[in-house]
Parts: sequence; C-alpha cells; structure tokens
Amino acid sequence: MSTRTATLAGLVSLALVSAASAEPKTNILHQWSEGSDAAAIAKLGEMFTAAGGKWEQTSIAGHTANTLAKLRADVVAGSAPPAVQLKGPEIAEWNATGQTANMNDLAAKEGWDKVVAPALLPVMKPTGDWVAAPMNIHRINWLWASTAAMAKVGIKEMPKTWAEYNADCDKAVAAGLICEAHFSADWTDSTVFEVVVYGQNIDLFKKAFVEGDTAAMRSPEMVKAFEQFRLMTTKYMDPGIAGRDYDTATAMIAKGKAVFMIMGDWQIGIFGANKMTSPADFACAQAPTDWGKPGFILNSDSVVFFKQTDPDYVEGQKLLAHLILSPAFQTVFNQTKGSIPARLDVDISSGFSPCQQTSQKDLQAAIGAGTLVRSFAHNMTILQKYRGAAMDIITTYVNNPKMSAKDGANAMADAVDAQK
Amino acid sequence: MADAAFTAEFAQAQRVEARRYALGRLGVYAFLGFFAILYLLPLLVVVANSFREMPEITQNGLIAFPRSFSFKAWPNAWAHYCVQGTCEGVHRNFYNSLIMTVPATLVSTMLGAINGYVLSKWRFRGSEALFVCMTLGVFMPGQVALMPWAFILGRLHLSNSVYGLMFVHCVQGLSFTTLFCRNYYLSIPDDLIKAARIDGAGFWRIFFKIVLPLSPPILIVTVIWQFTGIWNEYLFGVVFTGGTQQPITASLVSLATTVMNARAYDVTAAAVLIGALPPLLIYLFGGKYFVRGLTQGAIK
Amino acid sequence: MSAIADPSSAPPARPSWRARLGAWTPFLVLAPSLAASFVYVFVFTFWTLYISLSNSTLLPSYGFVGLKPYFDLWSNQRWRIAYGNLFFFSGFYVVLSLLIGLALAIAIDQRVKGEAIWRTIFLYPLAVSFIVTGAVWRWLYSPDAGIEFFVRSLGWSDFTFRLTSDRDLAIYTIIATGVWQSSGFAMALFLAGLRSVDPDIVKAAQIDGASRLRIYAKVILPAIAPIFVAVTVVLLQFAIKTFDLVVALTNSGPGIATTFPANYVYELMFQRGQISIGAAASIMMLAALSVVIGPYALWVTWRRKREASALG
Repeated sequence: MSTRTATLAGLVSLALVSAASAEPKTNILHQWSEGSDAAAIAKLGEMFTAAGGKWEQTSIAGHTANTLAKLRADVVAGSAPPAVQLKGPEIAEWNATGQTANMNDLAAKEGWDKVVAPALLPVMKPTGDWVAAPMNIHRINWLWASTAAMAKVGIKEMPKTWAEYNADCDKAVAAGLICEAHFSADWTDSTVFEVVVYGQNIDLFKKAFVEGDTAAMRSPEMVKAFEQFRLMTTKYMDPGIAGRDYDTATAMIAKGKAVFMIMGDWQIGIFGANKMTSPADFACAQAPTDWGKPGFILNSDSVVFFKQTDPDYVEGQKLLAHLILSPAFQTVFNQTKGSIPARLDVDISSGFSPCQQTSQKDLQAAIGAGTLVRSFAHNMTILQKYRGAAMDIITTYVNNPKMSAKDGANAMADAVDAQK
Repeated sequence: MADAAFTAEFAQAQRVEARRYALGRLGVYAFLGFFAILYLLPLLVVVANSFREMPEITQNGLIAFPRSFSFKAWPNAWAHYCVQGTCEGVHRNFYNSLIMTVPATLVSTMLGAINGYVLSKWRFRGSEALFVCMTLGVFMPGQVALMPWAFILGRLHLSNSVYGLMFVHCVQGLSFTTLFCRNYYLSIPDDLIKAARIDGAGFWRIFFKIVLPLSPPILIVTVIWQFTGIWNEYLFGVVFTGGTQQPITASLVSLATTVMNARAYDVTAAAVLIGALPPLLIYLFGGKYFVRGLTQGAIK
Repeated sequence: MSAIADPSSAPPARPSWRARLGAWTPFLVLAPSLAASFVYVFVFTFWTLYISLSNSTLLPSYGFVGLKPYFDLWSNQRWRIAYGNLFFFSGFYVVLSLLIGLALAIAIDQRVKGEAIWRTIFLYPLAVSFIVTGAVWRWLYSPDAGIEFFVRSLGWSDFTFRLTSDRDLAIYTIIATGVWQSSGFAMALFLAGLRSVDPDIVKAAQIDGASRLRIYAKVILPAIAPIFVAVTVVLLQFAIKTFDLVVALTNSGPGIATTFPANYVYELMFQRGQISIGAAASIMMLAALSVVIGPYALWVTWRRKREASALG
C-alpha cells in the first residue's frame, strides 16, 4: 500500500471514527422559564441526558420578543442556536433566510409525514423540507365554565350557539354575576375575537385571518362579529378587564364570581395548578358556533433547528428531534399542559383529562368536516407584522367603548393594509 | 418700668418667633415624612410579603397588614425554588451578576478616571470635541445598540459569554464615567499639575501621586452609578449570555411574569429583595459620598 | 509648590524619543476609549440610520429603499400615539421630578436630623431595578388587589382607584411612578448644589434683612441654575429610554393607549420582523433628543465663551 493510500485510508477512518463518536449536545432556546412549562422542558432534558446527550438550555422569561431578540443577536453574531422554540409563519420566514437545518432524513426514517397531524405539515415544512418538530397541539376555541356559577344562575348546559351564549349571559348578569371572565391584553382580546369570528362564520375567518384579505376584514360579516364582540365587552365582561392579570381572571372562575371564560386549552393546566378538576369545579365545551359542527382552532408549539458547524450539535439536533416526536415525550409533555400530542397515533385514554380527550376527538372530527383552522391570535397564520397591527386595533377596540363596530372593522383593515 | 414692658414685649416676640420656628420645623418634617411614606410604600409591601405565608397572602391580598410570619420564603428563594429551568433558587444568578458587575464597574471607573484626567489636564487640539463625542453615548437606547453589539461580539468571538457582556458594559459605561470624572477633575487647580511637571513628573506619576488621591469622592459616585446600572440591567444581560450564566435580573423577570402557574408571591418577594440587596447596600453606605462627590463638582 | 525649580535638581537631558513618547502618552491613553466610544456612538447610529433606509425585515439587510420605512412608520396609529406619549410624559416627568427633587433638597437642607436616612429613602428607588419595583407598583395600582382593594377592605366600599384601567388616565401612573423613581436623583444633585453655594452671599442677604423665601428665590436658586440644566439633561435621557416602566405597569395598555417609542421599536424589531421600520423609529427617537440636546450644547458653548470673554 503506497503512503498516499495509507494516509487517505487513515484519514477516512479517522473521519468515520470522529463522526461516530460525535457526542450529541444541544442548547435549546425557549421562553418557558418557570413552573409547569419549565418542568415539561426539564423532562425533555432528562430524556436527552438519558439517551447519552449533553443537555443545555437557555430560557428567557417575559415577552416572546425577548427570546426573539436573543435569537436575532445570536444569528447576527454568527452563532445561531441549535434549537429554538418558534412557531407558525415565523418558521417559514426563518427558513427563507437559509439558516435552518433540514431534518428530512430523520423524518423519512421515522415516518413523520404519516403520524403528524396533517394541518401541521405545511407549517413544519414550509418549502417541503422538515425544519421544525412540533411538540403539541393546542385548541383555542374552548369555553370554560364555573360549575358553581352555572348552578347559581340556573344554566343547565353549555351554550352551543352565540344566541344561546348571549341568553345565558343575560341570565348571569341579571343574577348579579359577571358572565365572561377576561383580562385585557393584546393576545387575550384577539383570542376571544377570533373565537367569535370563527364561531359566526368559518369562511370569514379563513379569508380574513388565514389569508389576510383586508376586504374580508371590512365586510359586513366582520362588522357583525365586532358587534357581538362589543356586546360582550360592554355587557358581559366587567369594567376591570384592563390592568387585571391572568391569575385574577382564573380566580374569578375558581371562586364562582364569573360564569364563562374563553381561553385555550392550557387553562386546564392552570385550573390544575389551582387544584380544580372537571366536571366538579369547571366544565369545558366547544366555544359557541352558529354552524353546528365540531370545530377546532389549532395552535402548536414547535422547535426549529438552525444549521450548525459543530458535529456534536448536529447529532444533538437529530437526537432532540427524535425525542420530541417520540410518543413517550408527546405523552409526558402534554399531560400537564392541557394540550394534546402532535402525533395522532398516541393513545391518550389514560393520564389525560376528559377535556383533553374530547379535544382529540374533536380534532379528528374537524379534520373530517373540513372545519379545522389554524389560530390567528396565536401566530399560526398571517405574518407577525400583519397580525401585530390587527391585534393593536382589536385591543384598542376592547378598551374604547366609543369605537363603533364599523370603525373597528375599517381600522383593522387599514392597519393591516398599512403594513403592505 | 419701661424696661419691664420692653422685656415682656421682647419675650412675647421671642415666643412668637419660637412658635413660628417650631411650626416651620414641624412642617419640614411632616413634608419629608409624607413623602418618605410614599416612597417607602413599595419596599414595605415587598418586605412584608417576603415574611408572610403564602396561604395568608392569597386570603388577605397582597396589600394588607401581615397576619402571618415565616422565614421560609428566603432559603426557598435562594436555593430551592424552581426558576429558569433548574430548581436551585436564584443563588447562581446572584453570583453571575456579581462576577459580571464588579469587574465591569471597576474597569469602567478606572478608564473613566484616566480619560477624565486626560481630557481635563492634558488638553490638546480637539479634545473638547472628542469629549462631547464620548458623552453622546449616554443617550443611546439599548434596543438600538443590540444588533450592532451582537455583530461585534460575534466577530470578537465573545458572544454568549460573560466577558462579552462585561466589554459591552465597559464601553457603554465610559460615556458616563468620563463625563463625571472630567467635570470633577476640572476643579483640581491646574497650577498643581504645572508645578509637578516642572518638578519632572510625567503623565502617570502625576496621575497616581496627585490626581488619584484627590479622587475618592468622584470614584465612589462613578462606582455607585455604574454598579447600579449594570446590576439592574436586563436586556443585554439576557441576550448576551446563555444557559446558566444569566444574571439575576433574568430570574427576577421570570418570577415576576409568571403567568401559567400559581404565583408564589412570598418567594418572589424574597427573591426580589435578594436581587435588590447589593445596590441598596451600596446606596445605604455610599450615599453620603455620593452627595459629597456631586458637591465637589461632578456637575458642571 | 515651587514656581522656581532648583537648578541642581533639574532632570538631565532626555533622549528625544522618550520625550516625544511622553508627549503622545495622553492621546495614546485616550485612544482605545475614544475608538470604542466612537464606534459605539457614531458607527451604531449610522448603521441604524442606514438600516432605516433599507429593506430589512426579519434580519438586517442592506438593500437601499429610501424613505419608505419612515412613511410606513408614520402611517401606523400606534407610532403616532407612542411619539405623542413621549413628549407628554417627558414634559410632566422632567418638570415634576425637578420640582419635587428641589423641594426635598431644600427640606433636607434645613439641617434636619437623620439626613442619611431621609436621603437613602428618597434615593433607593433609583438603586433598585424597576423590574422589582414595577411589579409592586402594578399590584398597588390594580383594582383587584391593590390600593382600591385595600381601602375598600377598610370600609370605604365606593372607593375607586383604577388608573391603569382607564385609557385617558393610565399615562399618569407612568408619569407618577417615573417621578417616584428619579426625583431622588434630582434631590441628590440639588442638595449637592445647595451645599456648594457660597455661604458669604447668603450671609450678606441675611444681613440685608431678606426673608428666607426671598433668599431662596433671589440668591440661592439662581446660583444653582447650572444644576437645573444638568438634572434636566439626565432626566431627559431617562425619559427617552422609557421602556421598563411601561412594560411593568401597563404593558402599553389599556389597548395601546400608553405605548411608548422604545416599546414599539422593540416590538417592531424583534417581534414583528420589521427591522427597517424599527430603525426608522429609533432615528425619530434620537431626533426628538437632539431637539433638546442641540440647544443645550449651544447654550453651554455660549456660556463658556461668555465666561472666557468676561475673564479676558
């Protein structure tokens, strides 16, 4: 064997050995910094370490913008993090920068295309390549109720249409209770509003909030939605919604001072932290719809992978993605959060609350009925710049009783147009 | 007889004057006292809550006369509470803040003193303009500087490290420290320097033998200002470090913005006080020098 | 201090290179800090200026598009509200901090006992991070758990104190809390100034029979006029950077009524992926500053020239 061939062989075997001995490590950037969210991420860490990886995480508290600020700083500095908590259209935006890493091999090996909920696929694969791993599916269009308050007012069952909701609320107000527990923030105001729009008119929701069509935002149907919203903010919510925080709003339901609350399924986790169970303390039902079928507004947290030069980080990304989509993690992660797995083949008949099991059934039904949509309020549809502008108007509308429904609709359309 | 009348009248005038004086004193103390209570209110609430038991807080509200007493929030906050992904309390973040703040404060103070010395005693053509340039830095908002700093730290291979963060704080602190020191040193008589130069002393000897010994008041002002500013800073501290290196402001924000879980107000209060203790102590013990340093001409 | 050096102790003739190095030392010593500050102030500002004229969205990019980001910025109602809030807030904040700081300084200057304690009480808000105190103020202002709740629990069941829930009044909470935070600093500077007033002038006025009030108004306050300027400048730079106050107290609410430029810049740059518009907003913030700093710089230069010519 000539010296050259020997050297070549030596180098090749060295490369093989080092690739094989790359020790998976990761540093996941996320905003779940405390409480049960952090505990859920800690479980991921445990699984990662148990599989032989070196686990590190950077958790940034406060507004999402803080996490995104750090992401940008890292990318600008040339050291993009190996894994970041990102979602919705942002995944496509970051993918367009060319810095995201491609997980197609792993996806093909593990058959993700077959088990992940179909509605998530275009989000995780914006240009056809897998760049993100979904962790869960949240349902936004839930209506929660305080069992005690319902009994006090004499509401026997959860309202199914907006007309029934309004009638129940009138009864509650007459009985001296607050009908809708709410705290005003841009995301909560938009959550309630998108549930109203969706419940009244799915096509309107799809055109205005999924496609971002501003003509639909000005339409008479949207004005009607704003009118229903105005009825709720003035008559069914109490004047203290601005300046209230999340705990206090939950306490209103816990103490039976308010009857209903429109909020996503993480409320289950919060009720649990307050030692409440369903159906003893709270009831859950699909938020009112006027078109009588099962419906689902979907939100999903996911982890995006950025290209790395260090082979240890590359190995770590594969391990992390594999773990995130594993049935074990999907089960453990979602049990306490109140959400359901992003994989449709995970059995949730044990360890999950009845509301969560309903959620999965409704998800399947909504897929079948064509009523599944992604959430606008929770950043799963239109770009952040349009969403932010629209949410500014929605929250202004909530806090300014003098703003008419027509003005609200036009202002929202104008604000989105201004960003184009 | 007239004497006695005069004495009586004088005594009467004296009494009126004394009463007016006493009322004046009372007024001053009442004014100060009223504002003192207003200023202390948040601190009192936090201190009270750190010694109350959680169930009692939930029952009686955050702003209420305490009806329970317990020390356990403190060790909990220091070493046990689950925050930022680990269940070790805030003590590691506290040490991170110390490691970051103390060197950055000392370096920027020293540099500010040297720069102030140069700009006040060794003026050359254009030094006034340069001084103005340097002090414009105090007006730069943090959000604007974030991405440029990220780029620079990346090039220097200092991103995601405490050293990078110290570098950022040093440069940003230079504007203030130079401003304070230079204005202060203007009040050192130039003749002192001239005489030393005639005696043969050079640049550094004059600094160490003459200027520095006169500097303690302004150095303390600078140290206090820098320490407080760097210790309490959140955005850069969080963006330019990673994982377990984050400063204490990061865990405080984490505790204060808890949304998804029942908030432990007692632990939050204790953690908040732990985080506030170093700057508070520095102001408590250094406050006198702070005013004295400002008196001796930091502000021109 | 010897004006005439003793010839026998005169230093020997030095090699010229060392003398030349000696002459350069001040500049060399200053150079690193100067370079760093230059980069920090000018390069960063020009970078921001360029980005404000570029097509940056998610990440900085360098395609030139002219003034479009500025037009886009001003077409947003939220920016107009924020910019207006900045001026409204700064005016009240600076004036109130000056007045209260001055009042506290004058009060403490009356040779009260326990000065160290009073001083610390009024200075501590500046020492403690606003993340800390902001959360507490938020509790205090909240109708469900704060002052309104407390006073009602004492018996006044009609008492309302819900400023943060009111669109028109919420900004006053930000002003009030901002003043709480920095009037201690104004007090410290005023106290220092009051202490450095030449006692002879004051004695002269007292001998002339002037009342305390007159002495303050006509003698002492004019003597510390430069301090007013210095405090105003420092307060203004706090005001421009207002960010934590808003996040802690109202989070730009109710709705977007109390949004401030720094918050909107942050939102645009990092949340909404509109970096060029965020940069344009930053430049507008710096422009607002220069409206105030420009005249101040001119005033300082004018005063120095006047002092120089008065001496000359």
